[in-house]
Amino acid sequence: MLLGLVSQSLLSGVTNGLIYALVGFGIAAIFRGAHIANVMQGEFSVVGAVVVDVLLVQIGMPYWAAAIIGCLSGAALGALIDVVFIRRLVAQKAPDDSYLLFTIGVSITISAAVLFLFGREGHLLPPIGSGQIFIVLDAVVQEHALWLIGISVILMFALRYFYRRTTLGMRMSAAAIDPDGAATIGIDVRAMRTLTFVLGGVLGAIAGILITPIIPVSYMVGLPLTLKGFSAAILGGLTNPLGAVAGGLVIGVLEALVVMQMSSAYKDVVTFSGLILIMIFMPRGLLGRAGRAGG
Amino acid sequence: MSAPLLSLENVGHAFGGFTVLREVALDVPKGEIVGLIGPNGSGKTTLFNIISGYVRHRSGRIVYDGVEMRNQTIQQRSYAGMVRTFQTPMVFEKMTVLENVMVGCNKITSSGMVEGLLSLPRARKEAKAMREQAEMYCEKFSLSSVAHQLAHNLSAGQRRILEIARAVVGKPNLLLLDEPSSGLNPDEIDELDRSIRALNDAGLTILLVSHDMDLMSVARRVHVLYFGRIIASGSMEEIQANPEVREAYFGS
Amino acid sequence: MATRSIVILVIIAAIALAVPPFLPRSVVDLLVFSCIYSIAGLGVGLLLGQCGIANLGQSVFYALGAYATAYMTVTLGVGAAWGFLTGVILSGLIALVIGWPVLRLTGHFLALATLALGIVANALFYEWDWLTHGSLGFGGIPKLNIFGLVIDTPLRFYYLAGAVLALCLLASANLIGSRTGLMLRAMRDAPEAAKSLGINAQWLRTRIFILSAIFGSIAGSLFAHYGSFVNVQSFGIEKAIAFLIIPVLGGATSLPGVVIGALFTTLVPEMLTRFGDLHQVLFGLTLMATVVLMPSGLMGGLASLSRYMTARGRA
Repeated sequence: MLLGLVSQSLLSGVTNGLIYALVGFGIAAIFRGAHIANVMQGEFSVVGAVVVDVLLVQIGMPYWAAAIIGCLSGAALGALIDVVFIRRLVAQKAPDDSYLLFTIGVSITISAAVLFLFGREGHLLPPIGSGQIFIVLDAVVQEHALWLIGISVILMFALRYFYRRTTLGMRMSAAAIDPDGAATIGIDVRAMRTLTFVLGGVLGAIAGILITPIIPVSYMVGLPLTLKGFSAAILGGLTNPLGAVAGGLVIGVLEALVVMQMSSAYKDVVTFSGLILIMIFMPRGLLGRAGRAGG
Repeated sequence: MSAPLLSLENVGHAFGGFTVLREVALDVPKGEIVGLIGPNGSGKTTLFNIISGYVRHRSGRIVYDGVEMRNQTIQQRSYAGMVRTFQTPMVFEKMTVLENVMVGCNKITSSGMVEGLLSLPRARKEAKAMREQAEMYCEKFSLSSVAHQLAHNLSAGQRRILEIARAVVGKPNLLLLDEPSSGLNPDEIDELDRSIRALNDAGLTILLVSHDMDLMSVARRVHVLYFGRIIASGSMEEIQANPEVREAYFGS
Repeated sequence: MATRSIVILVIIAAIALAVPPFLPRSVVDLLVFSCIYSIAGLGVGLLLGQCGIANLGQSVFYALGAYATAYMTVTLGVGAAWGFLTGVILSGLIALVIGWPVLRLTGHFLALATLALGIVANALFYEWDWLTHGSLGFGGIPKLNIFGLVIDTPLRFYYLAGAVLALCLLASANLIGSRTGLMLRAMRDAPEAAKSLGINAQWLRTRIFILSAIFGSIAGSLFAHYGSFVNVQSFGIEKAIAFLIIPVLGGATSLPGVVIGALFTTLVPEMLTRFGDLHQVLFGLTLMATVVLMPSGLMGGLASLSRYMTARGRA
C-alpha cells in the first residue's frame, strides 16, 4: 500500500518533471542560440496544443497529421517572431531588457488571443497510444506517460547530439556566443537566429502536444509552464538539455514529495524555496562546470 | 635599507592538477619599478591575481607593507593601497571618462547611501571633491578632451590610460600593471612609457608585467618567469645576456 | 541642472498640479494608480538601471506594505503611520535577510530567485488567511487623515500620492548623482574592476535591494488606503511582471521614464477597454510595437523625437 503511494508520487513527480524539462528544452534552445530569455515559451506550447485540438475536433484530421501541423505552426510562429520583430531589435542594437519586455508582450498577446478566440475552457488532447494502463510497482501508469517519458529522453539525447556533434548545432551556438567572430568565419548569424526560434517553436509545440493530455490547455496555462520551464532550465545551466531534464526532475520530484507529505497548498512554497536554496548553494547550476552560471 | 613594499616568499600555486607557480620569490622595493617578463602561460597573470586577492595562493608568503596577505579580500587590499589594471582594460563602459575616474576616488571618501539619498551636506561636499579630483587627474593624463565621452567610445590606448588614471587617483602605494601595452599602437606605448615614469617619479611603486622588451626598460630590476619559476633576475642587460633566458625565449 | 531641463520640469509640475481638478473622476483614479505604480516601479528601476538587476519580486514588498497597513489599521486599530512603518520595517528586514545570500547570484539566476521569492510569498499570502484574509480580502481600511484633512476623494489622494512620488524621485535623483550612485554603476558595468577599487558589491546591492523594497512597501500601503480593500489576487506574478515592465518600458536608467512607463501601463489598458474583449490582445500588441519602435524605452523615443524636431526647426 505504501509502496503504491510512494511510487505513484514518484511517477507523478517524474512525469511532471519531464513536462517542465520539455518546456525547458525550448527555453534552453532559444537562450543558447540567441541569448534571449524567452518569456513566451509556454505560449508556443499553448499554440501547438490548441492547433492540434482544433484540427482534431473541428476538422477531424487524423492524430499524427494534426500533430505534425501543430509542430509546424510552432515553427512558423517562431520564424515569424524572429523575422518580423527580433531582427528589427537586433538591427537597432536594442538593450537586453528590451528583448525581455518584448517576449513579455508576445506572451500577453498570445494568451489574450487564445482567450478571445477560444474562451476560458480548458481542452484535453487525446493521449498517444491506445490509452492502456500498466501497473508498475503498485503505481498506475498510463501509456501516454510512458510515451512522454520516452520522447523526452530521446529529445534530450537528440538535442545534445545536435549541439555537440552537428555542424548546424555548433554554428547556432557559436552565432550567439560571438556574433562578430562567427560572421567572420562565414556563419550567417541572422539565419542561425531564425533557426533557433524555429527550433524553440517546434520544441514548444511538441511539449504542448505531449503535455495536454495530462494538463488541460487554456489561455492561462502559458505563463505557469514558462515559469516551471525556466526553473528547470536555469537549474540545469540554461543552455544544456541534459541540465533541463535534471532540473525538471528535481523540481517535479520535490513537488511530488511535498504533496505526499504535506498538503498540496504548500507545494509551491517548498518547491520554490528549495529552488532558491539550490541556487544559493550551487551557483553554477546542478551540473556545475557543465552548466553556465546564470548568464 | 628599508623593507620592500611587497615581498613574495616561496609562493606556489596549482589548480586542476597543474602546478602554475613554484617557489616564486621576489621583492618590490618602495619607490621602484620592478618588471616581470615571461612567455604566455608562465603564470604572470595568476601571480597578479594572487597578489591582488582574486586568487588564494597554495603555499608561501606574500607580505605587503609589513603585513602578511592571506585572507584579506580584494577590497581590503585595495584600501591598503594596492591597485591593479587588467590585461584587457576594464573600464566602466556606460559611464563617462570623468565618472570612471571619480569611481577611483571612492576610497578617499566615505559618505553612504542614506546621506546620498537625502543629499546631506557631507555627501554633496564629497561629490564635489571627487569631481574636482577627477578633473585634475584627467588633465594630468591628457584625458580632458574626452572627459564627457562614454568610456565605451575610447580607443584601446585611451582605455588603458583611463584605467591607470582611475587606479591612481585614489593615491595608492603599489600599482600592479598587467600587460599594459597589449593592444596599443607605438605612439600609445610611448605615452604609456611616459606616464609610468612620471608616476614613479612622483613616488609610486610599480610592478609591471609585460612581454614588450622596450617598455620593460622603465624597470630597474626585472624577473623572468618561465612556467611558474623565476629563472633569472637583474637589470634588462643582464637578463638579455643570461643564457638560460635566451634558451627559454629564443631556444638558442 | 541645465536651464532647459528646469523649465521643462516646472512646466510638467504646473500641469500635474493644475490640470487634474478639471479631469473626470475616472481619469484621476487612473492617475492615482500611476503614481502608486510609479513608486513601486521606481524601486525596480533603481535596481535595474543602476545595478543591472532584474527584480521580479517587488510584488512581495508591495503586498507586505498593503497587508501591514491593513493589519495595523483594521485588526489592531492603530494609526495609519504604524501601518506604513511596519510595512517598511518588515520589507526592509526581509530584503536584508533574503537579499544578502541571493544577491550574490548573477543574471538570470538572480531574476529567477526573485521570481521564486514572489511565488513563495504569494502562496503564503493565500495560505495564511488567518492573517491576510486570503482571497476573501481585507476590507475596511480607513482613509488617510493628514492634519485633519480626510483624503477621501481620488483628487485629494492624487495630490498626496503625487507628493510622495515626487519625494521618492528626488531621493532617487540624489542617490544617482551621489558617491553611492557612482559605485553602483561601476559595479554594474565591470564588477571585477569595481572590486579592485575597493567597492564591496554584495553589501551595496543588498542596500539598494532594501531601498527598493521600502519603495514597494510605501506604494503598497498607499494602495491599501486608496482602495480600502486588499486581497491576495492583487499581488500575484502579473503584478511583479507589471512592476518590471514599468521601468523597462520607460527606459531603465531614466527616472522620468519610470513615471512614463507607469502612465503607459495604467492609461493604455483603459483606453483600450472600448474594444471589449480584444483589449488585452491589443495591449500586448501595443507593448510589442512600443518595444520594437522604441527599444531604448519611451524616454529614448521621446529624446529621439525632440532631437528630430530640433533638427527640423533648424532646417
